Amino acid sequence: MRDEAAFVEFAQAARGRLRRTAYLMCGDWDQASDHVQEGLIRVYVAWPRLTRAGGEHAYARKAVVSAFLDHARRRSSTEITAEINPDLPSGRDVAESVSARAALMAALARLPLRQRACVVLRYFEDLSVADTATALGCSEGTVKSQTSRALDSLRSMFDDSPLGELMTEGAPSW
Amino acid sequence: MVNELRELLRENVSSPPPDDVDLTGVLKGGRRRVRRRRGLAAVGGTAIATAAVVALTSLVGQDTGTDGVADGPPSPDAPTVSLAGATSAVEGRDYRLLSSYTNSNLDARNGQYFDGVTDDGFILFSDGPHGPDNGVRRALMDPVTEEKDWLPAAPHSNEQLWPVDLGADRLVFTSMRYGKFRGGELPEGEMIAVVYDRQARTWHRMSWPGLPALDEPGSGVLGPEDRLYVRVPATNGEPPPGGWPKGPDGEADDADAEGDTFALWSVSLTDPADVRDEGLVVGDVAFTDQSMVWTDRTNGHSGLIHVRDLASGEERSFDPDSGDRCNLLSFGATDDRIVLGQYCGTYAGGVRDDRVQVLATDGEQVVTVQDSSIDGGLTADQGSLVTIESHDRNTQGTYVYDLDDDRFLRVSDSVSQWAMGGPTPPGMFLWHTSVNGSKGATQWLGEMIGN
Repeated sequence: MRDEAAFVEFAQAARGRLRRTAYLMCGDWDQASDHVQEGLIRVYVAWPRLTRAGGEHAYARKAVVSAFLDHARRRSSTEITAEINPDLPSGRDVAESVSARAALMAALARLPLRQRACVVLRYFEDLSVADTATALGCSEGTVKSQTSRALDSLRSMFDDSPLGELMTEGAPSW
Repeated sequence: MVNELRELLRENVSSPPPDDVDLTGVLKGGRRRVRRRRGLAAVGGTAIATAAVVALTSLVGQDTGTDGVADGPPSPDAPTVSLAGATSAVEGRDYRLLSSYTNSNLDARNGQYFDGVTDDGFILFSDGPHGPDNGVRRALMDPVTEEKDWLPAAPHSNEQLWPVDLGADRLVFTSMRYGKFRGGELPEGEMIAVVYDRQARTWHRMSWPGLPALDEPGSGVLGPEDRLYVRVPATNGEPPPGGWPKGPDGEADDADAEGDTFALWSVSLTDPADVRDEGLVVGDVAFTDQSMVWTDRTNGHSGLIHVRDLASGEERSFDPDSGDRCNLLSFGATDDRIVLGQYCGTYAGGVRDDRVQVLATDGEQVVTVQDSSIDGGLTADQGSLVTIESHDRNTQGTYVYDLDDDRFLRVSDSVSQWAMGGPTPPGMFLWHTSVNGSKGATQWLGEMIGN
């Protein structure tokens, strides 16, 4: 039978991280919740297969990314916003930190959908190229090229601002 | 000044607002989607044309052991045929091919679709959604000349429309305006009618402030006196204690589900203040020229079927004698026939018991088409054709059962992965086949040739 208790346990543990990932892609916490809710529904449907095969987290991440991409395809990308939380605790100067964070969200919002997803999966989720390709349903070569273009764009946007350089510590080169 | 990408990403999400992802809503949505047999997941995220029939089923997975189901599907207590009983249709002898259209690669981009056929024989041709606004262009296409009369843009060209009445004078669609997807419930929506006046070449939208919220698109069945009959959610069937038993495919097998009920309301297509609670709790509802027909429940065991004579108001009810494990997935009525699409469980070897049951309005069993991985329904409210799609590898294709003369024909040997089609006038039917390694689809419009 479908083990709903196990699913709920998994969903409770996973939803916070999934919501953060979704937020970085869509720029809106409410929309992020919607994407997670839709993604978890997809996980529920696939749950018996997942519990046999393992990989629930990877499937859930892929489901949320798909929910984001599906939603964005259906709607204008102008919905993307770059909300910031000025109450964020940080060791850096608050004004500087808020500006840089806001600038990054704004810059992400200007990237094409898949480039944005590549950046979030590679640099927030710390996925390998192979795992990112799996999550996005594309080839590793596509992930490399999309990530490369995305980083070029992000760096360019930061270079053109007074915020300074955008670095990608430990990033692979291609 | 240096900004590190990883650090900025993490800072941006280090203090999220309270988590409003409600797992009650997830469970509710998941159970509902499983019970709908996971069919629509196969069509991907592309905005799609409206399916002519509701209950698209999915192929089953490998056999991994079951929770005590019988070896094979039981035989219905009715005259029964399987897909093997169909004969191959011959164009020119059994049907005329009126038109076709191919989208060679729907994986790459959205395409153009036949969304139905008007009562006077024009194809409702939709292009899109395309572009940054996800707009859809619509035309009425003459199937003979293939000339398209492009309609002026609808008021909100990016909203999905479900055809309710494709008449010679007007085109009536319903659409939904959704609230936010928040909290523990699925989003509720407000039904809107979008009407195109073919003579004036103008669109107008209608909504009914007195109509309760709905939770599903595509609501609205045209009934007498130019009224739309609308199902307002009342009760949702729940899984049995401990959950659904496991089927041979490892999935929850929700056969013999409790079913959902709805309060039946009706609204006038001419007066937004004319909203009426019909005082009936129904599952599905349909109309013929003479009667209103409804079930007790849907998306589960149907319960009784009720037939009300529209002229006299007399009602009669009967048990459709569907199988014990049958969930009602689609419903329609025409003339003196009632057509029920059902899923009745999965058996050893992953064999599904899917049925299209045809009854007379007096309860007589007319015929039941039973096979694995099929779904079907009436092509038109006033027509006699039942189309059945098979998604099984060995029998894949579209089949047509003519209720007038009991002809059972196989018209294709493939079905595309896309859900497409729409209502057609009596005698016509739409089907679609796979092209380009399943990346694309050809839609076909045919017309039966009488015996």
